[in-house]
Amino acid sequence: MSEQGATKLSPKVLLIDPVRMLPSLLIPLVGVLFVGGFSPRSFGWAAFGVLGTIVFAVVRWATFSYRLVGDRLEIRRSLISRSVRTIPLERVRGVDISTPPMHRLLGLAVLKIDTGASGGGEQEGELDGVSVAEAERLKDVLLRSVRAARAAGAATGLDGGPEGHGSVAAPPLAEGQAVHRPGGASPDTSLERPFEEPQEHVIVKVPRRWLLYGPLSGAFLFTPFAVAGGAIGLLFQWGDQLGLGRDAAWNAGRWVWDHPILIVAVVLALIVAMPFVAAVMYAVFNWDFTLKEREGYLVAERGLVTRRSVSLEARRTRGYEIVDALAERRAGVVRMWAIVTGLGDSETRGQLLPDVPRPVALEVASQSVGPFTAPLRPHPPVARNRRLFRAIVPWLALAAVPAVLAVATATPAWWIPAAVSLVLAGLGVPLGNDRYRSLGHGYDGVRLLSVRSGSLRRSQAVIERRAVVGWRLRQTWFQRRAGVLTLVAGVGAGKGGYEAMDVSEEQGVAFPAEVTPEWLTPFLTRD
Amino acid sequence: MTEAPDPPAGPLRDPHHRVSPKAVRLWLLEAVVALVLFAAGSFLLAAWIPSWSWLPLWLSGNSWLVPVVVLVPATPFLVVEPFVRFAVHRWELSGDVVYARSGFLTREWVFVPVSRIQTVDKAQSWFERLFGLATLEIRTASHAGSSTIQGLDHTVAAGLAEHLARRAEELRDDAT
Repeated sequence: MSEQGATKLSPKVLLIDPVRMLPSLLIPLVGVLFVGGFSPRSFGWAAFGVLGTIVFAVVRWATFSYRLVGDRLEIRRSLISRSVRTIPLERVRGVDISTPPMHRLLGLAVLKIDTGASGGGEQEGELDGVSVAEAERLKDVLLRSVRAARAAGAATGLDGGPEGHGSVAAPPLAEGQAVHRPGGASPDTSLERPFEEPQEHVIVKVPRRWLLYGPLSGAFLFTPFAVAGGAIGLLFQWGDQLGLGRDAAWNAGRWVWDHPILIVAVVLALIVAMPFVAAVMYAVFNWDFTLKEREGYLVAERGLVTRRSVSLEARRTRGYEIVDALAERRAGVVRMWAIVTGLGDSETRGQLLPDVPRPVALEVASQSVGPFTAPLRPHPPVARNRRLFRAIVPWLALAAVPAVLAVATATPAWWIPAAVSLVLAGLGVPLGNDRYRSLGHGYDGVRLLSVRSGSLRRSQAVIERRAVVGWRLRQTWFQRRAGVLTLVAGVGAGKGGYEAMDVSEEQGVAFPAEVTPEWLTPFLTRD
Repeated sequence: MTEAPDPPAGPLRDPHHRVSPKAVRLWLLEAVVALVLFAAGSFLLAAWIPSWSWLPLWLSGNSWLVPVVVLVPATPFLVVEPFVRFAVHRWELSGDVVYARSGFLTREWVFVPVSRIQTVDKAQSWFERLFGLATLEIRTASHAGSSTIQGLDHTVAAGLAEHLARRAEELRDDAT
């Protein structure tokens, strides 16, 4: 465990900060110049503004410091008010290093410390602008001292709070890793060996040709429209700022309205652009996705422009979630997230794999948590009726409104929305059936349970039995009439609860009784 | 995917303990307050509606319909709810597992093993204090594995909270 004096961020951030503030400063500056009629005085004010920004950045840099003291990291700010944020090292759950473009140019990085605080980003630490070497060093120190403290606790048998439990939780995982690992690191990497060189072992490096699967996930598909919308908004805003006024905008709008072919062409172009833009965006975010195992941490690195590295403590992994959209299922690819206890923002941080072929994902899953081979049990047929009802009836109701209006007002145009709704209701038949087919729950009889649901975005969660902290059965009035209920496994990780939707009343009791018989038996009336 | 047979298990039995009978009075009081608020709101709306020119005449002319439409369906629900709740709400602590049932239109059964409990809170609202009742909030690391038992007698709630906290300390199992 190292001690050191207070350290400042790299002075090179001073090159980044003013540039980052520039966009928000640009419009006022231009405004000052315009209002002042480009007089020497207005240039003086503008220069004053720029100077102020730089001074602000310098003062902020000079008053920000961090240091490692014993078993905690202190982050001090004294710009406006003095504040010291203290992060006990035992609370560190993971360290996340990212390098946005400007940072990368200057050899800097942003270090984020995940403390697993449930209160959002409030209690987390961020060091924006340390050198890459320093970031790596800090990461090693932070993660190592955590492990050292834990190892010491385990060795002396001190059950020092929740962390002392490590000695109990670790063995099954270490065993599983040693057995399944195909060569590479020595089998004892996951044992506690606090003071040696970090040993790395690449689990998966996603080949670049798999980036082509990206658009199948539906992610970023609507980016072209978002960009177009943003551009129009910006145009109006800047038009106002530059004194073009509403009239010009109005005239331009009218001119466009008079050329409907142009609108159609633009919309068509945007639609055609959808998969390509999505592919590019996806590739930028998931470039060279690499999943490594380093000293008991799962490290996921990705990104082209901003390279992001997320460390998850393998010991805290309690399961995984496999997600595939409709098109992905056709292509046989899936995405995967880890279910980790005490991980904030698990939707972005917990991602273990982007789109990869299913067997690859299952291999990684069985290495890090264990293979789930048990069959999933289907839910009762009445669940199918409920899925179908929900997928069809709302659209039928929606179709009825314009249909009635069409008849009542004798306006044939109303038939168009009615027809669209009817088509959507028709699509509800395969959708409802597919949603029913997705439903399932299972238990391998030893360690892992699983629930699955969804169609357009199907998701299967596999969770360790020991992560279950309670069960909840929920039955709405409609479910009671259908004789089904929703079973929720409370899990102190990931989303907090994983649902088996519309199980029969017998299954709803039998499943918890099978997974955790010691909890349920006292409350069953066995005949 | 092959089908696996569901393992046999008998149906659930009711939890042993009812909540305090005083809870019915509390819930009735709450229902009356809700009813008064609904009534006041709907009468206010009815008095206001005739001044809205954009409404069709048949609606703004018959604004007395608003309280009727609001209160006629709401009243039986609010009056029946306390009694249904009293029949449904039950709890039990056996084998170091808290088993609680609750709900009105939507029923919930919750099983929380004491070994996974993180905090036990005993809360008392202003109305609950009036009747000597309390609500017990049993929290685990997951919202889905947490339980709230309403309408307990204050002394029962205090004793249960004390017992659960002590027992949770002994059984603490932090695999989560």
